Amino acid sequence: MSDPFDLLILGSGSTAFAAAIGAGELGARVAMVERRTLGGTCVNRGCLPSKNLIEAAGLVWDAAHPRYDGLAPAQMAVDFPALMGQKDQVVRDYRAKKYNAVADGMTDLAILDGDAAFTGPTEISLDGRTIAADRFLIATGSRPIVPPIPGLDTVPYLTSDLLDADEAGRLTELPESLIVLGGGYIAVELAQFFARLGTRVTIVARSALLRGYEPELGATLSEVFAAEGIEVLADTRTERVSGDGDGVAVAVETPTAGRILRAQRLLVATGRRPNTDDIGLDRIGVGLDADGYVVVDAELRTSQAHIWAAGDVIGTQRGSQMATPVGARQGRIVAENAFKGARRRVDHDVIPRAIFTDPPIAVVGLTEAEAKAKRHPAVTATTPLKYVPRAGAIHRPEGFVKMIASTIDERILGVHMIGESAAEVIHEAAMAMHFKATIDDFIDLIHVYPTMSEALKIGAQAFRKDVTKLSCCAE
Amino acid sequence: MDQSILYIDLGVGGMTCDDCVVHVTEALEAVPGVEGATVDLASRSAVVTAHPDVATESLAAAVHATGQYNVFERRRRPASDV
Repeated sequence: MSDPFDLLILGSGSTAFAAAIGAGELGARVAMVERRTLGGTCVNRGCLPSKNLIEAAGLVWDAAHPRYDGLAPAQMAVDFPALMGQKDQVVRDYRAKKYNAVADGMTDLAILDGDAAFTGPTEISLDGRTIAADRFLIATGSRPIVPPIPGLDTVPYLTSDLLDADEAGRLTELPESLIVLGGGYIAVELAQFFARLGTRVTIVARSALLRGYEPELGATLSEVFAAEGIEVLADTRTERVSGDGDGVAVAVETPTAGRILRAQRLLVATGRRPNTDDIGLDRIGVGLDADGYVVVDAELRTSQAHIWAAGDVIGTQRGSQMATPVGARQGRIVAENAFKGARRRVDHDVIPRAIFTDPPIAVVGLTEAEAKAKRHPAVTATTPLKYVPRAGAIHRPEGFVKMIASTIDERILGVHMIGESAAEVIHEAAMAMHFKATIDDFIDLIHVYPTMSEALKIGAQAFRKDVTKLSCCAE
Repeated sequence: MDQSILYIDLGVGGMTCDDCVVHVTEALEAVPGVEGATVDLASRSAVVTAHPDVATESLAAAVHATGQYNVFERRRRPASDV
């Protein structure tokens, strides 16, 4: 039998690649095992294809709904199969450049395709073949939850896998109508994408939109969706699903009445679960929590000293978030802990996050409820974006920025924004919070006029004075 | 040979040329208790001949002190084991 690998990584997403590159630089012989497509969720059926398509739908929408007097609406013809085809090409090109080519450029990296499961503490079975390693990283990611709704198993339904370029679950025809189960970030992004291309969309959410985020964000998004013709059924239970001719019928219980919804297609976007159920973790004593996430310490070690876990499989432990860049950072930390004895601990204090609806949403740090739960004395200031000069200049006044500051030292603890360019603006807040910036740090920084980033300066001034009376450049 | 002498197999990261091999070899051989080190560029590995009380951390620290290389231990075996 050949020498064992120094590191065997289950999974091939951003977490796995960061770990493989890091471990390779430190001298390790690495194997990566993938049962689906190289690159994992983000590049193949997540962030990348969704952002490609959402931008296209935005172009169609903006043309049909010009914000400026003097510009006439224009109806763009949409060739949906061609639109999906260009997305597939973007995915394949990016995957080739950022994953395959990087892998090819590494010495001592083996990429192995197939279904892997632990058969012993230092070996896995890969489609019947035994492969040994001294150390392991579990980076198998997550997949859509299929909720236990009666009848769901009797009808065809979509998940976010519809974004995939190469797998069977991919979508090639634009549905005439769509019911979206779920009110989280994936549900709202995809709902608006389809609606803007002409699909009649109904969202069925157990609570409000974007539960867990600052509540005003979901409330504002609900208003935007209503104005765009997307029906949002909040606080609504899904009772059962059945076939209805060529489409589906979904029985729901809203706060006021029972309803039967009918649509051509059904999209299930009720959350994600970790891919930890069929990789033999029970055989080797790697501990999981009640939801199936791998339990790790602050150095990302599992209950077995030679096995680490990172990325979506650790869920929200230790302040982590299920997001591509978080996993990548963790993958690098695992490499240094496994091969350099670095004993690095994860630092999840500042993780910016965005939801690519229009207007986009971006957040970093604590919500008001989280600050309260931590008993951190804090004040909040919410500033409508109509007071940001650029928002007025380009007719994008909708949205707000809500800032949360400590009353002990005036440090900014959280920033929550919905509005033009929020996903870009949030990085100023994130970097500032990384350096423990205070209210005055945001106020004192000269910002480019007129930009949406001024929202942060004006938002900070709102702690001090009436921002409706500011002059030019927010002074 | 002293019966207690061990071979310590190491993985080595960061080497790009024969000069690197020299630097890593010198760093390893300067650790007290190390009798000799054979470093191989192509396989990115090293075999250190050492007394059993030589800790992996000492080897790693010596190599890290060069500023650009890394070593980690794969396994230890008796020097009689070829």
